[in-house]
Amino acid sequence: MPVYTLVYSSVPESEDQMINDLDRIMTANRVDTDIRRCISLAVSEAFANAVTHGNLQNPAKLVKIDLQVNKSEIIADVRDEGRGGLERIKARKPAAPLAESGRGIDLMKHSVSSVDFRESDSGGLIVSIRLVRQTEQKMNG
Amino acid sequence: MEITMREEGSVAVFNLKGRLDLASGSQLKGEVKKLFEKKLTFVHLNLAEVEFINSSGLGSMVSIMKEIRLIKGRLTLSNLASYVQEIFDITQLSHIFEIFQSEEEALASFQSAVSS
Repeated sequence: MPVYTLVYSSVPESEDQMINDLDRIMTANRVDTDIRRCISLAVSEAFANAVTHGNLQNPAKLVKIDLQVNKSEIIADVRDEGRGGLERIKARKPAAPLAESGRGIDLMKHSVSSVDFRESDSGGLIVSIRLVRQTEQKMNG
Repeated sequence: MEITMREEGSVAVFNLKGRLDLASGSQLKGEVKKLFEKKLTFVHLNLAEVEFINSSGLGSMVSIMKEIRLIKGRLTLSNLASYVQEIFDITQLSHIFEIFQSEEEALASFQSAVSS
């Protein structure tokens, strides 16, 4: 299974480049549109959380994505260099109707097969995203 | 994201093309804020060419909606692709925003509101 490693500075503008890179990898692996949308959404949510909440938009801190793609599944690990991410995840509450944030994790969980959270050795958050390709299409085309 | 704006009577109509995410959401907020300086408070967003939206993009739209409401304005959306509509449904924002099938219907609703 090929493993792709992508690394970005923690600035909002990196998200666009990240999605472009993801798109390029999906194209190279002939991932269909529906699956592509699902994984792009989930990874972008994890990425935005890493940039904003994990690394506090510090350009010196990095977000690292390890991506594996094969015929049956896509797995992405998104890592930040922050602290306390796991506690934030555990303490989170559903977004209020007019909240401007707080919907990312729910969207992530809705769009892929599984999402897990753990802490790295250095205290950063690792979000593990898994999408089964063959049997599940969670988002309409 | 490409943002184009035109005025249809008293309504500022934005056509959005591309991705609505963290950076482009801020861009959109900035464009809408410029309208307030021109005393335009009716805003319509046509999302026909929005190919991707995430929670950051949604957050920007909520922020815009709240600002427009504060100045007694009105915000409508139209032409959501099915996968974009689904994201609004999942997050229950389809209950918060006024969403129309077409731009024509949305603009007609502004006319009706002015007449009544």
